[in-house]
Amino acid sequence: MLLFEFEGKKLFKNCGINVPESQLVGVSDEIRINAPLVLKAQVLSGKRADSGGIVVVEKQQDLETKLQDLFGKTVNGEKVERVLVEEMVEVGKEYYLSFSYSTETRGPVMTFGSGGTGAEEKGAKSTAVDPIKGFNGEGLPSELVEEGKKLWEVFIKYDCELAEINPLVVDKQGKVWALDAKVILDDEADFRREEKFVERNLFGRASTEAEIEARKIDEGDHRGTTGSVYWDLDGDIAVIAAGGGGSVVNMDALIAQGGKPANYTEHSGNPPREKLKRLTKIVLGKPNLKGCWFVGGTANFTDIYETLMGFVEGLKELPEKPKYPIVIRRGGPNDKKAFEELKKIGEEEGFDFHIFGRETPMTSTAKIMVDLAYGHTS
Amino acid sequence: MAILVNQNTKVLVQGITGKEGSKVALQMQNYGTKVLAGVTPGKGGQEVHGIPVYNTVSEALENHPGINTSLISVPNFAVFGAMEEAIKSKTPLINVFTEHVPIADTAKAIALAKENGVRIVGPSSMGIISPGIGKVGQIGGEDPRGVFRKGNIGVISKSGGMASEVSWILTQAGMGQSTVIGIGGDILEGSSFVDLLLEFEKDPQTESVVLFGEIGGTYEEEAAELIKSGKFTKPVVAFVSGLFAETLPSGTKLGHAGAIIYGDKGSYKSKINSLESAGVKIAKTPDEIPNLLK
Repeated sequence: MLLFEFEGKKLFKNCGINVPESQLVGVSDEIRINAPLVLKAQVLSGKRADSGGIVVVEKQQDLETKLQDLFGKTVNGEKVERVLVEEMVEVGKEYYLSFSYSTETRGPVMTFGSGGTGAEEKGAKSTAVDPIKGFNGEGLPSELVEEGKKLWEVFIKYDCELAEINPLVVDKQGKVWALDAKVILDDEADFRREEKFVERNLFGRASTEAEIEARKIDEGDHRGTTGSVYWDLDGDIAVIAAGGGGSVVNMDALIAQGGKPANYTEHSGNPPREKLKRLTKIVLGKPNLKGCWFVGGTANFTDIYETLMGFVEGLKELPEKPKYPIVIRRGGPNDKKAFEELKKIGEEEGFDFHIFGRETPMTSTAKIMVDLAYGHTS
Repeated sequence: MAILVNQNTKVLVQGITGKEGSKVALQMQNYGTKVLAGVTPGKGGQEVHGIPVYNTVSEALENHPGINTSLISVPNFAVFGAMEEAIKSKTPLINVFTEHVPIADTAKAIALAKENGVRIVGPSSMGIISPGIGKVGQIGGEDPRGVFRKGNIGVISKSGGMASEVSWILTQAGMGQSTVIGIGGDILEGSSFVDLLLEFEKDPQTESVVLFGEIGGTYEEEAAELIKSGKFTKPVVAFVSGLFAETLPSGTKLGHAGAIIYGDKGSYKSKINSLESAGVKIAKTPDEIPNLLK
């Protein structure tokens, strides 16, 4: 999970890193710090400075106007709803410092260089850190070693994928400050992290009702994964895809054929039918759909009968019976039994099922779906 | 010959009394793999499908010194401890099935494994199968015979589902597999494409290799570099997925944890370009793979 700057700075502060005196404000809050100040839009997209998301207030009398201007703005597609008001720090020297994981060294790395936006391109260098011994300050100028160790503490204590200070500033008195914070938490470590953060959405919009509902499916039930990853998209073909790998392969294929997906979602492991039923009702609860694609590869251990029966139960409970084509491609344990039952139910209920098993290449059913949904006759 | 899993493979299952652990132990036995022991702390003395259970890895090894492979199927909060135990006991091959492992735990385990000279495959690995010989992990499910067939093609896949799907496509085209490995799709993995290509290079049974890659990270680019350097000489066909994911905001979570892009690193284009420049044939859809191998 990507944190907002103010959230990241809280974690920094907890580990003793200096951050400027600040106040997080909403549109009608009163400000207690005096100019000179910096107003910083709390949005998740990077490069805020280039998009007008960071405003310097030199004189107290300009504060109100500049603040209200910023609240009216959209920064990289995100509406500004919160602003971090910060005291100004006199910059002496600027640096870039981060800890992250590298697939090249297959472990943590410390990245250090001259600061400012685009520091990565300006020759910041990464060095491997021994994850067992921890960071000992190697590779940093002596005046930054202590801050480096504190940032490492943030990185490990809060199970981060990235802990970045850009810029890390040394002021004219020699004091070291973190002027910005970019922190990405490792979601897999949520179970052992005490600090909880509200779900957010990188699409620059609030989460949709369907996204919120879908994510609830896995709550308190660890059997398989269903709906934990669900994104609403702008298209008209509903997709229920299987497998973290196969789902993306199939989305690529659908788009290559000119299909417009209405959503992205995946299920994996061996989820019970109830989970698929709930997911189906969410995915197909959208208006103006032109087709539904239930697609997956040849499963290793997902019970195809259970998952497809969950799908059918969901279909039956939709407020309006779908008239659009439903293309199903799946393989794996109990697939034959599932297909027999599907055919029967399709005829009884009048669903427009097009059923394909493992003998039909998975991605070739993308074209079948697109042709049926958009009425192509080729 | 095959790689990693052969006639001499003798397996320990860590987490054998769990639902997945006991299921997979039976699956492996049914496929002819020798499962000598299991471990679940506090359940020593029990049996699962006739396999003795011990409290610790070292206890299991004392009683069954032939064990050379450990399959780890424990909850994610317990996985680091399980990996550490297996590594410190110098089990040569450790296959981690557990998903949702914190990246910090994987990083520490990889560093420990390197120190101790053992190999980790995973986390989030569906397993390893050498068709006709044996398997470790869930790969192929209860009846791998329907999907996998013994032959000359090595398969390395970030996705367990796609490892099976690709193998099934190969089998249908009359092309068998030497060894198929689900390496897992996390950011950090114990074994990368490069590590396993080097094993396939040494394996006389393997004549060519299929890679299933995804956006994110650098494992595909590293494989391309290995091939360019002449250290891997057999024909390679690759498929890379994730073009769709690149249309979403940077950092959007979907698919595997490793299939995530921040900035320009690990993009689809970067992977395809480097693989192509190394002479790797790129399949646009998985079903193109058999023709490209001919």
